[in-house]
Amino acid sequence: MTITTSAIIATDLLKKYGSLKAVNGVSFTVGKGSIFGLLGPNGAGKTTTIRIMTGLTKSDSGSVSILGHDIKTDMIEAKKKIGIVPEASNIYEEMTAEQNLIFAAELYGVPSKERKKRAVELLTDFELAERSHDLVVGFSRGMKRRLTIACGMVHRPEVLFLDEPTTGLDVQSALALREQIRKLNKEGTTILLTTHYLEEADQLCDTIAMINRGKIVALDKPENLKASVTGSRVIELSFSGQVTEADLASIKDVIEVHRAGDKLRLIVGDAEDIIGEISDFARSRKLNITTIHTLKPSLEDAFLKITGLNPEDATKDKEPPKPRRNDG
Amino acid sequence: MSVKEGLTKALYIARKDMRVYYLKAPNFTYGLLMPVALYLAFSAAGNLNPGTLISGLVSLVVLFGSTSIEAVAVVMEKTNGTLERLLAAPVSCFDILFGKALAGFMLGPMTAVVVLVPVTIISNTSVANPLAVFVAIAVSSFTFAALGILVSVYAKWIPEAQMYSNFLRFPMAFLGGAFIPVETMPSLLQIISRLLPLTYSIEAMKEGMANTSVTGTYLLDISILVFFSIIIMIVSTKMLEKRLS
Repeated sequence: MTITTSAIIATDLLKKYGSLKAVNGVSFTVGKGSIFGLLGPNGAGKTTTIRIMTGLTKSDSGSVSILGHDIKTDMIEAKKKIGIVPEASNIYEEMTAEQNLIFAAELYGVPSKERKKRAVELLTDFELAERSHDLVVGFSRGMKRRLTIACGMVHRPEVLFLDEPTTGLDVQSALALREQIRKLNKEGTTILLTTHYLEEADQLCDTIAMINRGKIVALDKPENLKASVTGSRVIELSFSGQVTEADLASIKDVIEVHRAGDKLRLIVGDAEDIIGEISDFARSRKLNITTIHTLKPSLEDAFLKITGLNPEDATKDKEPPKPRRNDG
Repeated sequence: MSVKEGLTKALYIARKDMRVYYLKAPNFTYGLLMPVALYLAFSAAGNLNPGTLISGLVSLVVLFGSTSIEAVAVVMEKTNGTLERLLAAPVSCFDILFGKALAGFMLGPMTAVVVLVPVTIISNTSVANPLAVFVAIAVSSFTFAALGILVSVYAKWIPEAQMYSNFLRFPMAFLGGAFIPVETMPSLLQIISRLLPLTYSIEAMKEGMANTSVTGTYLLDISILVFFSIIIMIVSTKMLEKRLS
């Protein structure tokens, strides 16, 4: 093992399924003690990248080093250092919450005296203490999710992979989990997460990689990514009548138009008189401007611009995962 | 990872499997009721001596019991997503499957005793070498559990696993000497029967029931069963490893 300041080094990863390159030349480095976000639409290659990094899928070429251990040649040692929370909950429903945690601790070699103590701590942290001796089969989806996350943390991994950690959680549980992630990170755990919630990535991550069609299309700090949006201004507005995106796109200096609920979001150039131009547009259509706000570009604006997606595609990507078939 | 560490984790997996899968319905229907019903139907029609009857029945119970639990043990983990959890942990594919085979291995002697004790009492049959019979049950149990693992690693769904299991179990039941002594079969079927682990399981149990000392045939049967177990476990591990790529 070599001494390194990087927790994860992914180099030129390639994974093909037939002729499809699911991961195509992905390289990045995650510093020790940082939170790294991997963002991208469905099928972009996020989960395949995580699976390669955690040894669940073998890449066709390229390498992954986890704290100096190569995931292909030194897999068991690398796996000892990592915790994995997959997108779909994968706990044993025929066992109790505590039995699930103790079994996870056993697999990762947690000393026998520590197992029960850590299980109790995590059950308390994730508000499952009252149900610790109940079979998981009777748990709600949110409770199963929380227990899955707790199982990924029971051996106190140095590097934690979280695939869509807050999907399926209620607002309160999601907030509690984000706090837990921050706490773990403060204690020195390196975290790599994928999320559909761009706001979440913005709040948590030190660095974000945007991945699309198997390739990294942007890799930077969230603030730098937001600043990269051309024009650097966003106007969110609504009218008293019907207006289409195409209508607004015809206004001079409007670069992009997206619909956001009953509002329209314009990415505009640096033109000083853009508000006047919008007012002229409304007057010419005999419409009133109901609301208007000037905003800084969000990570979502950067994401849409960089990936070239339209908001409808991004919304499709926010569907919760389908439950797994259970024949048991 | 050391051998001790691997074995310890395999034992944790076995204990977990016993907790999760032992009380599943297929273990009772396929594992206990089916071989007993099958055997009663055939023994009523035939004229088998008690030694052949008991060794055949016990071998069938071990075959059906151990393969039933193992045929679903891996495939259920696949469909529930929990196999990923095992694969993500610092445990080798061999240790995962070895742990699973241990769970099936431990079920075999339990079900065999449930059948063996009352049948020997009712038929007033003595067991010449109980230890040799127990070892034959234990080794057979591991071999059949490994066979169930092989099916389970290959299958995608539980019905598919059960179909493949039956595809292996029923021909073995008829050609392995449980109902018809191998010596009385046509020569081609005798050759086929020598390729089936059940043949050696029944033969080893017959030897243990009939002889107070360990015979050469018994030792050869046990060795062949161990050989089957090793080969099947290696093939199953390679198949699981291939799944990762």
